[in-house]
Amino acid sequence: MKKITYILSLGLALVVGFSSCKKDIKEINKINPGQFSDSDPTLMITGAQLANVLVNEGEAARLAGIFSGHHTGYDRQFVSYGDYVMTAGDFNTPWGNLYTEGIAQCRLVRGKAQKANNKSLNAVACITEANLLLTASALWGDVPNTEACVEGNSNPKFDKMSDVHKAAIVLLDSAIAYGANNASYSGAYVGNHNWAQVANTLKARAYLRMGEYAKAAAAAANGVAAGKDLLANHSQATPGAWNLYYDFLDWNRAGYISASGSHMEKLLDSSTIFRNNAKTDESARFAYYFIEEVYTPLDPNWDNGIFAATNNFPIVSYLENQLILAECAIRTGDLNTALTHLNNVRADNAASTGGQYDAYVAGDFGPGQLVPGATANDAMTKEILVEKYASLYGQIEPWCDVRRTKNLIGVVPNTGTKLPQRFLVPQDEINANKNAPAAGSLFDALELWPQ
Amino acid sequence: MKFKHLLFVISAASLAPEAYSQAEGSGGSSGSDTGTIEAVTITAIGTTKNVRKIGYAVSQVQGKGIVSSGESGVIQALSGKASNVQITRSTGDPGSGAYIQIRGQNTITGSNQPLIVVDGIPVSNSSFGGGVDGVVQQSRLNDLNPSDIESVEVLKGAAAAAVWGTRAANGVIVVTTKKGKRGMNIEFSSTYAIDQVNREYEKQSTFGQGSGGRWVANNANSFGDRIALRNGTDSINPNGARFVADDGTVYGTIVRKGDKNVYNDANRDQVFRNGITWNNNLSISAGGEKSNMFFSLSDWNQQGIMKGLSDYRRTTARLNFTQNVNDKLSVGLNANMAKITSNRVQMGSNLDGLYLGYLRTSPDFDNTDYKGTYYTAAGIPSFNAHRGYRRYLGNGAPTYNNPGWTLNEQTNTSDVTRFIVTPEVNYKWRENMKMIARLGHDFSTDRRITYFPVNSAGSQANGSFADDNIQESETSLHFINQGTHKLSSSINLNSTVGYLYTYKNIYNIGGSASQFIIRDQDRFAFINSTTENKDPFNSYTELLNNRIYGVLDFDVKDKLFLQLTGASEASSTYASRFFSPSVSLAYELTKDLKPSDLLSYAKLRISSGRVGVAPPAYIWNTNYVAAGSSSGWGDYLDGSLYGGSIYRSSTQGNPDIKPEMKTETELGADLKLFKNKVSLGVTYYQNKIEGAVLAIAVANSTGYSNQWKNAADISNKGLELDLNVSLIKSENFNLNLYGNFGSNRNTVDNLSGAAPIFLAGFTGTSSRAVEGKPMGSLWGGKWARDESGKMILDANGFPTAASEEGVIGDPNPNWRAGMGLNGNYKNLNFNLLFETCQGNDMWAGTYGVLNNFGITPETANEFTVSAADAATIVDYRGVSLATAAAAGANGLATLNTDGSVTARGNLVNYGAGNVWLNQYWYTSTGGGFGSVAEQFIKDASWTRIRELSLSYALPKAWSDALHIPGGITVGFTGRNLALWTKFDGLDPETNLTGVSNGRGLDYFNNPGTKSYLFNVKFNL
Repeated sequence: MKKITYILSLGLALVVGFSSCKKDIKEINKINPGQFSDSDPTLMITGAQLANVLVNEGEAARLAGIFSGHHTGYDRQFVSYGDYVMTAGDFNTPWGNLYTEGIAQCRLVRGKAQKANNKSLNAVACITEANLLLTASALWGDVPNTEACVEGNSNPKFDKMSDVHKAAIVLLDSAIAYGANNASYSGAYVGNHNWAQVANTLKARAYLRMGEYAKAAAAAANGVAAGKDLLANHSQATPGAWNLYYDFLDWNRAGYISASGSHMEKLLDSSTIFRNNAKTDESARFAYYFIEEVYTPLDPNWDNGIFAATNNFPIVSYLENQLILAECAIRTGDLNTALTHLNNVRADNAASTGGQYDAYVAGDFGPGQLVPGATANDAMTKEILVEKYASLYGQIEPWCDVRRTKNLIGVVPNTGTKLPQRFLVPQDEINANKNAPAAGSLFDALELWPQ
Repeated sequence: MKFKHLLFVISAASLAPEAYSQAEGSGGSSGSDTGTIEAVTITAIGTTKNVRKIGYAVSQVQGKGIVSSGESGVIQALSGKASNVQITRSTGDPGSGAYIQIRGQNTITGSNQPLIVVDGIPVSNSSFGGGVDGVVQQSRLNDLNPSDIESVEVLKGAAAAAVWGTRAANGVIVVTTKKGKRGMNIEFSSTYAIDQVNREYEKQSTFGQGSGGRWVANNANSFGDRIALRNGTDSINPNGARFVADDGTVYGTIVRKGDKNVYNDANRDQVFRNGITWNNNLSISAGGEKSNMFFSLSDWNQQGIMKGLSDYRRTTARLNFTQNVNDKLSVGLNANMAKITSNRVQMGSNLDGLYLGYLRTSPDFDNTDYKGTYYTAAGIPSFNAHRGYRRYLGNGAPTYNNPGWTLNEQTNTSDVTRFIVTPEVNYKWRENMKMIARLGHDFSTDRRITYFPVNSAGSQANGSFADDNIQESETSLHFINQGTHKLSSSINLNSTVGYLYTYKNIYNIGGSASQFIIRDQDRFAFINSTTENKDPFNSYTELLNNRIYGVLDFDVKDKLFLQLTGASEASSTYASRFFSPSVSLAYELTKDLKPSDLLSYAKLRISSGRVGVAPPAYIWNTNYVAAGSSSGWGDYLDGSLYGGSIYRSSTQGNPDIKPEMKTETELGADLKLFKNKVSLGVTYYQNKIEGAVLAIAVANSTGYSNQWKNAADISNKGLELDLNVSLIKSENFNLNLYGNFGSNRNTVDNLSGAAPIFLAGFTGTSSRAVEGKPMGSLWGGKWARDESGKMILDANGFPTAASEEGVIGDPNPNWRAGMGLNGNYKNLNFNLLFETCQGNDMWAGTYGVLNNFGITPETANEFTVSAADAATIVDYRGVSLATAAAAGANGLATLNTDGSVTARGNLVNYGAGNVWLNQYWYTSTGGGFGSVAEQFIKDASWTRIRELSLSYALPKAWSDALHIPGGITVGFTGRNLALWTKFDGLDPETNLTGVSNGRGLDYFNNPGTKSYLFNVKFNL
């Protein structure tokens, strides 16, 4: 009997020993075998760029487009969005994309690039972060920057809109100083761009928004050249990679957004503000921008036009840069320089969408001229802004121009008499951040753009 | 230890056959000889203990009661049989999982499901899946054959379960399987069952497909014309496009709708059938001096009530064997294997789901032909075309599936193999000491195929396929040493020391593919997609846990029983050891107070204990995850399509995470009255869960969206009653009344200030954890009201939506009860069980959306108003009845010769005079897609006949004549025979999101069932 006891004990001891030594209880849940504990900054930057694309082309751009008159709300929730009825919770997602997937990652990449002395990567991270900050500040005005994404700070303070713009310019200057004269680390983009040019156009965008035309023109002088647009890459015809407008307009939310009744439709179609004249025929652009009677009476063209599935989307473009130069020139009274840049854009239109965009001459502007206005300069200023509004269809910047210029081009609100001025502070941020201001109203003017 | 179980069998046989709690367990309910045959219960670690001596509440259900319920799953069979044990079936799909809740919810992100211990080792009861769409999955607990079960004890409180530490916060269900008995018994039983849908939605049959009172082809809504006013036949364009069904029926392009037929019945019959189940069971029990064995084979073969690929087949084999090597040593083995194959049906918020397509179908559309060939006007064919009411010619995928397509063309299989093997050694190494060593291994694999052929609705239009393999294994090693010690003449001590080691891993690997390149052959093959349309995935979870525990049972003068337990536990999911103590005390009052005829037996008990919930694995660190951004509307960018990107997760890890700690105290009494005729158990408990783990929302500007924290406190309190009354007791006729009652109040006391936490559901309506409210509270849009609570109306007199969402309902019942009668008259045994659940709310999402589509009879009401009223009463758009009637759409409003107007819809006065509710109201604020979910929160209380069973042992002369020496028993069970509820259209015992912590949601759930079972049993 003793023998059995011994053998049994020995056997059990072996089994116990074997099974408990196999795994260390303190270690096995420390690392998730399906996830990583760290990553390479050259991989991380692509994710941050995708967040930047998502914000500038996705929901934030769609809402900005509804507020600027590019689109109208047509079905489900977008009916009330179209009526400018929104709640703070509607803005949670783009805010989360901006900070957690964008800015936070950029700052991690910058730290890692610094350590690795990878200036080129550091420059791209600075540009991406600046782009994100400029978009955040354009949409919400005051937003966290100096205390954002700092480990241990759970209540980041909101910085003034002007300070956020200045901080973005500092980032862009460092990127330029790093000498990013190439298109490296462009995972989310097509890759024809030059980062230094992109940084300069972004700087020009920032200065323009602040009304500092000379500085804007100086930056834009080194901005994005023809054929060097920073384009989000949508060359693969598959969900997760294709054009986000296409995804929304056809694949996921058909009929929610329309162009029917929009200010943009009126500009390009026969109406009181129709743009056709002896040197201009917008019919080709109309066909490129819109299709009729698919999900709504007039859909933004997701089928064979601007928002087609594999159409790349401009994040920072030559057209914007030219129109910044044009506006800065006319703001200082230099009509001829403005004309040159405007004609550059018109030539580009003719080449890309077809249609007639003959070069204007200075005499075409002014009372009773092809492009009428109280003065030639007034006519030119408005023409530049309308052209920018039309050329940057689907982008956020035209909404910034409308607000900055106190709606100089005369966009008619979908409802009531006022255009929305800002996004509401997201409900998630209000809930968790003691320093978050109240949600506010869509019609509260922003610091840089009093109405 | 386990062969002692025989004792239990003897004692239990004399008890109420269905269920008893400890109330009637003491001394046997026969009323005589109190104490001669002592009832025992099975403790949390699988050992036996005298029921008299326990100081906590336990409910026990006998194997016989589980089998007679006719349920395929053990858990479902417990329904109504134990107080405060809430069982909610996910749906009526065969083999679908059920949600078990004992004494309320205890955690937010963890599982609220109890630990299941089978023959002394923990087994998996996981249930993977359970979103707002897809299919309802099985629970792994369904893998056990109910016929193999001897008894189930439900240990509800912390004290009863404390030795299980962080696995015991939700209670422990201890399952004991059958042992061989002395002699030999071969039993064969066969059951034939018919299942039927037990509750259906009513659909209107007056108005056709369309909008604005006119017929419109392919329109989503049934706000069309008046069907009865049509001319009789459709006029068809002879040169138009057409659909030719597989049986040759031709559907042409309709120029003008004339068909007056209503197809609601035909469409209904396309979807439902009588579900048929065959269940065959063979068991052999044998035992002698030295050994005993129980062997069983079973086959459960069920076709669901949904007419198509809906079935469940479970084949099991079991061998339980014990050999006494000598008087000190015995070895045993319990081995169980199960093979389960099943076809599931897509449901929920799902364009390819059954109920969504079926219920939305317009009454004037015939769904019969769903597959065929589409020919353009020029005669160019498209094969495998899919015809549905949203695309009647089959030119491309319809917006919603035809139910025939959902049921017959889509594949959703599950193929499970499972083994549970438990070898055990018992060794009595001293006169008063014995040791048990038990090894358990529970292994299962589940392969799930999901296949949508080309032309399925929605984003599956180009076909999609997923192959998902889940492998789970859990190995346990359990040592127990038990001793008995006589401390003095009046004090006895039983001591138990145990060590338990468990290692669990879950491996999930699979892939999906879409956008098929060969579009007309059904193959479950990844080569049918291009590289960018293939998506492989895997995940791997390991959990390791070890625990040392001790139990001291003091018995003072056989009337005062004190139990002290302590367990110290280390786990891979948290850093420091977790200690779970418990104490329980039972005092048998009637030992000091002389028992009388009135009070035959009384025991008071009090217990307190601490248990926990282990935090989830892998939340110590912040992970780096695959990058991707999505807007919330479906559009997204995937880093893997951009050369790959891994970046920091937005959820921040927390190395200081601790287990959630639950402290519970309960007080109770067990009484026997009137010469043991009445037994009554009463228990009151309250508990508090501190430090519930959740990924608390943080300001996104911190760079994170969530951080794991011990952030929430939850509490429960409740009352439980268990009753048994022996009404008649004689040689030929016995009748018992039995019942149970349970109530629980749950509150989320503290969420660390976090916003309400989403548990399950939709953006519009969800089940959430809200500070100060019960767990799972329903959350959504409300009516705008002024300070006095009056609705704020718009200019036309219609109510408006509030700008903020809030709590709109509580899915937790106020109380539940079961009440039944059982007994026998000569050879006839019977049981009747009623069950009720009161005060629980449910979101009637289906009903709300059917309002939107003009399907509910409510929306098809008709009324007539005078010409004067017609001029002033307006609809949601502000259009008056008179104006609408003048427009001439006969399905909206018609002008009568006397100037009065007859219209479709309802007249309601919200406070500013009558308004006309019609399409324009129901498709906006007044319907299920509107923002006011409040209006669809309904009382989902129910009462049902859970079970009616009869069995009759044929006279011995008959069975002898058939050479069946042990006898023949025939039986009938009716399950869910009657249901009383105010909830429309669906048995409210359901949950859209399955076995998740979010409760009370209905959105195109597959329906529940009622069953009739016929059984014959031969004992050889």
